[in-house]
Amino acid sequence: MATITRPLPGGARVDEHRPRLSEYLRWSVDHKIIGVQYMVTTFMFFIIGGSLAMLFRTELLTPQLDLVQNGQQYNQLFTMHGTIMIFLWVIPFFAGLANYLVPLMLGAKDMAFPWLNAFAFWIIPVAGVFMISGWLAGQAEAGWTSYPPLSTLFSGDGQTMWAISLHLLGISSILGAINFIVTIKNMRPEGMGYFQMPLFVWAILATSIIVVMSTPFLAGALTLMILDRVAGTAFFNPAEGGDVLLWQNVFWFYSHPAVYIMVMPGFGIISEVLSVHSRKPIFGYRAIALSSMAIALVGFTVWAHHMFTALTPELRIPFMITSMIIAVPTGIKIFSWLGTLWGGKLHLRTAMLFGLGFLSMFVIGGINGVMVAAVPFDIMVHDTYFVVSHLHFVLFGGSVFTIYAGIYHWFPKITGRMLDERLGKIHFWITYPAFFFTFFPMNILGMLGMPRRVAVYAPEFQTLNVIVSISAFALGISTFILIYNVFHSLAYGKRAGANPWRALTLEWATTSPPPAHNFIGDPVPFKNPYGYGTEAAFAYVKAIEDHFGAPDEPPLTRELTPKPASSGD
Amino acid sequence: MSDGFSVNIMQQQHLLEQRELSRDELIALQNKRTGVTVFQISWIMAFVCLIVVNLQLRGDFASWPPPGVEALEKVLPTLATVGLLVSMALTRSGLKSIQREQLSVFKSQWGVAIGLGAAFLAVMAFEWVTLPFSGQYSTVFRVMIAYHAIHTIVIGYIMIRVYRNAANYDAVHNWAVEAAAKLWYFVTIAWVLFYVVIYLI
Amino acid sequence: MNQGNVNSNGRSMGMVWIIVAGLAIILGGLLLSTLTPDLFPAQGSMQAQQTDELFRFMLAIGGAIFLLVNGVLLFSVIRFRARKGDISDGPPIQGNTTLEFVWTVIPAIIVAVLTIYSYQVWTTNTAPQPNEKIVNVVGQRFAWSFNYDITADTLPEGVTLDDLSDDVRAQLADGQVISFSSPQLHTWVNQPIHAMLQTEDVNHAFWIPNMRIKQDLLAGRVTDIRFMPIETGVSRIECAELCGPGHGDMAGKVVTVDGEPVLQGAWLVVHADEQEYLREFFDPEAKRVLFPPADPVDLGRQILTSGKYPCSTCHTNTELGWSGNIGPNLNGVGSRAGNRIAGMTAADYIHDSVRNPTHFIVPGFSPLMPQFNDDPSQSNYMPESDLQAIIAFMLTQTQ
Ligand code: HEA
Ligand code: HEA
Ligand code: CUA
Ligand SMILES: [Cu+2]
Repeated sequence: MATITRPLPGGARVDEHRPRLSEYLRWSVDHKIIGVQYMVTTFMFFIIGGSLAMLFRTELLTPQLDLVQNGQQYNQLFTMHGTIMIFLWVIPFFAGLANYLVPLMLGAKDMAFPWLNAFAFWIIPVAGVFMISGWLAGQAEAGWTSYPPLSTLFSGDGQTMWAISLHLLGISSILGAINFIVTIKNMRPEGMGYFQMPLFVWAILATSIIVVMSTPFLAGALTLMILDRVAGTAFFNPAEGGDVLLWQNVFWFYSHPAVYIMVMPGFGIISEVLSVHSRKPIFGYRAIALSSMAIALVGFTVWAHHMFTALTPELRIPFMITSMIIAVPTGIKIFSWLGTLWGGKLHLRTAMLFGLGFLSMFVIGGINGVMVAAVPFDIMVHDTYFVVSHLHFVLFGGSVFTIYAGIYHWFPKITGRMLDERLGKIHFWITYPAFFFTFFPMNILGMLGMPRRVAVYAPEFQTLNVIVSISAFALGISTFILIYNVFHSLAYGKRAGANPWRALTLEWATTSPPPAHNFIGDPVPFKNPYGYGTEAAFAYVKAIEDHFGAPDEPPLTRELTPKPASSGD
Repeated sequence: MSDGFSVNIMQQQHLLEQRELSRDELIALQNKRTGVTVFQISWIMAFVCLIVVNLQLRGDFASWPPPGVEALEKVLPTLATVGLLVSMALTRSGLKSIQREQLSVFKSQWGVAIGLGAAFLAVMAFEWVTLPFSGQYSTVFRVMIAYHAIHTIVIGYIMIRVYRNAANYDAVHNWAVEAAAKLWYFVTIAWVLFYVVIYLI
Repeated sequence: MNQGNVNSNGRSMGMVWIIVAGLAIILGGLLLSTLTPDLFPAQGSMQAQQTDELFRFMLAIGGAIFLLVNGVLLFSVIRFRARKGDISDGPPIQGNTTLEFVWTVIPAIIVAVLTIYSYQVWTTNTAPQPNEKIVNVVGQRFAWSFNYDITADTLPEGVTLDDLSDDVRAQLADGQVISFSSPQLHTWVNQPIHAMLQTEDVNHAFWIPNMRIKQDLLAGRVTDIRFMPIETGVSRIECAELCGPGHGDMAGKVVTVDGEPVLQGAWLVVHADEQEYLREFFDPEAKRVLFPPADPVDLGRQILTSGKYPCSTCHTNTELGWSGNIGPNLNGVGSRAGNRIAGMTAADYIHDSVRNPTHFIVPGFSPLMPQFNDDPSQSNYMPESDLQAIIAFMLTQTQ
């Protein structure tokens, strides 16, 4: 195997240069700046959404009302919590990370439409602030799912603001997705076919396809809701010939695919992180890539599983079947990741820990998902804490864990500094159990009979609720460790160098952070982005190191010849 | 114009562009093309959504139009639809004309196309205003028509801008014309879907 | 290179380990499923038994999958962890078609089995039964009521047609029903129930955890659900669909007694040894409706305690035993109401507050109260006679 791919055709070295703070505060069309703008903005929304959760978890410490004065205030809290977490945190955070990484992974200078990219970003803070200021007008109080007629005939003006703001966020999301699809289709470097793309890029492609196909349905539903609220139409008002199931159908036709919008990029992150940190090619590349497409496709056929207790009984079974089927492609991914770990050389850095944490916890969420897909069982646990548990296992244990893994993995690239590993491990070891004890007891609560969206509950549920709340506070506090780590490492972190994890994907074949147009010269991708364990790969990594200098970490006692691959049993 | 011929023109166009444009310009052009296509596929779903709304709502009534409600008048809208289809065809020929650098032909073709678009809007506005209120039947109609009209107006305005600017385009640099034309196809196709649902089924 | 040797040895050993681990995982799933205590509330219906069995089954499978994934994960972390300073790579294995096939097909089989089993449970749980009793359930913000019909054949014990006032008797003789509502649902062991659900305002969901049944009430539609109680007792009814500020308070009760109804078709005619129970529930209610008290204050009190209107969820009144706090406290309204709006008597003010509740809002409260209309064709119908009686009662609430 003499043909050695070298990452860059030689040429000048550039000095690492971090953009100044002021560049992040104004309009910029550089995808890296925009990516960071996205991520920082959405993280702030995460803290707001999380603080709301802390408030209602405090309320739920006792069975009576104490913190909030009435049910209305409570309803506003979780409505905003759910909406913020989904539309202002998980979805746009992934868009931000993808913004940063996709052009780099493709060896491109920027996204296909830089201006559009910036525009899509700036919608987000505007819409977010607008939505939150609904509190001045009587905040939305019908849950993030906002079923009419509660949301149309019985809610304050904040509900209209909620709808307008979601409309804007939807548009932002569509514009972003168009940009990704075009970038991925047209801007791959020479020698990178679809099946040589990093799996993160595949994941973004699949996500973007879901976004462009489903989000217009959200736009349609919200348009009707706004009209019903302000223009006197009666689409959702049965007294005048409207139909309340209409909203549920259209909303879920968007929102079920949306849950995959919220986890698919995370799957992409996991594929990167697990492979790099276990020094082993991803197991079953094609299966992982194509199962994303399968999930995207099947994901469009399952929406009514959220409506099992409302739907005409005969229609429930078909949706149960499709919902069950979707476990298979997801399973393919999970097992392929396990196959990747098997026999590798696992480096348990923080990024990897969160990746493994994801694997171990997401299964619980997924299995719960399959359980609620079984109609007779869902009839019992629908709209109970069982569902709340399911959604947090997949959204926190799924999306947020992968986001954390992604932050630890790519922070060195984005800032040029390593995050502190010791703090990172403390973060993980608090987050992981706190997460489990926040959300697992919710399963039991749901089965015992505690409905969701209530501020008052039967006294016998108090013990479990106290456990949940206290763990939730620990979970909240653990977030500050990450925040501290970020600031600390920005100031004092070890220099990362170009390729601290010795990875093969293209984003590592440039300085950290990358220069204005990402690469000096056109980078040449390694033919298999996960080809670890071969001499060619070793040479490729070494060429990067020769070119940019080795990182401070790992220690310099490294052996410079690749060991023969030891078999894994 | 036979199909073979138009395919030929497309190929010629691509060859021409490859000859005349730099690599970056080519990529940019290709990006815009893909971008518009993806946008079309995406945004047509918003119209599909309203179609779904229409279909689900009518399912709640014994018949459609609901008992006692008079059905929509079809003649004028059908004529308007034909007009819009013609307008789309003219838009397409206009794009070809620009690619052949026949400016005056382009001008006359797009002039008529825009005129037909305006006529279409006028007819639908008339229908919108004159339809008596009849509960859900008229509301769904009004919302669908208005929703489509907003797109027609915005994209029609883009067509007019391009039309006014026509002197600046040549065989290679005509992206604005192509984009406006493609968006106008979008308006037409979205309308045909609506037409079928509103008037035919 | 003596790899081959090690490998073939390793392979047969590997097979053994795989089988052992597989058995351990399956056993683990079964153990998990059988050792998990009963988390669901006590089984109150045939549906509950079916659903719980399905859950145990899913728990066994889910438990096994959980153990498999986390087992492999933990094993890998321990066994394949890179030692300090080891920066070599793992073997360049890209995939394995057989393996990938296996882990596609096995989950597919599992979900197929789950789907079929769930389908069977579903058909059993929802199949129409002979002798079903129809119950009319009405949900409104934020209370449940259950409507019962009195016909000439189902008069309370000791009451004959002759005892009734002329117009009531005429109505019954005419074949009309007189209905009254109760805040409780009454069911019988082994008596299949077919509940017809309607809402006066927003969507609600009718949920009896003990029976494992739940069905949404959809504005503008009538929905239904079936269940068959198998245990005596009192269980909670909850609202499971967000319906507004009082959603968490929207609870009710279902009482199940033993014994089969002797007469067909008559929802309220039950076996002789249930007479006592009946006397507690049906007779008094029916008598109250059939012989309304002459004194408007008494009539008002009766209407307010009957659960016909959902006032108790939101208001507090000591005499009536209400303790809601979503709306203003009604202790002492009689003395306050006259002072609220200049030129309005207390009676006018209360009348207006019911017919047009958003008109005047007591400071500190939100406009949440439903409007009660005088028009029978609208939702939240409250005849003027009822309202006058309620006002008469409220005026006695002085402090
Ligand atoms: C990231 C988000 C996310 C993800 C990935 C999922 C994944 C799944 N969800 Fe979930 N879901 C939500 C977010 C998500 N969900 C949210 C937010 C709600 C609540 C909305 C609300 O009402 O507020 C919800 C609610 C919800 C319901 C409605 C419950 C109710 O309201 O009553 C249902 C019902 O079918 C469901 C099903 C599923 C299924 C079958 C999957 C599957 O995709 C899971 C597949 C994964 C696995 C199964 C695990 C890995 C697989 C294996 C290890 C292979 C072997 C496994 C088997 C053979 C079973 N979800
Ligand atoms: C990505 C999505 C996401 C995320 C990350 C979370 C995170 C959390 N969620 Fe959320 N949740 C939803 C999505 C999400 N949730 C959705 C969609 C709903 C449904 C809404 C609806 O019904 O309409 C929901 C509903 C929901 C409920 C049910 C409410 C109800 O039905 O009554 C509960 C109850 O405990 C809950 C709790 C929590 C907690 C404790 C966290 C924690 O993980 C949060 C941790 C907090 C932080 C990480 C922020 C930083 C920390 C601080 C600022 C701490 C400061 C203060 C102290 C420590 C005291 N969530
Ligand atoms: Cu009624 Cu919630
Ligand atoms: Cu779903």
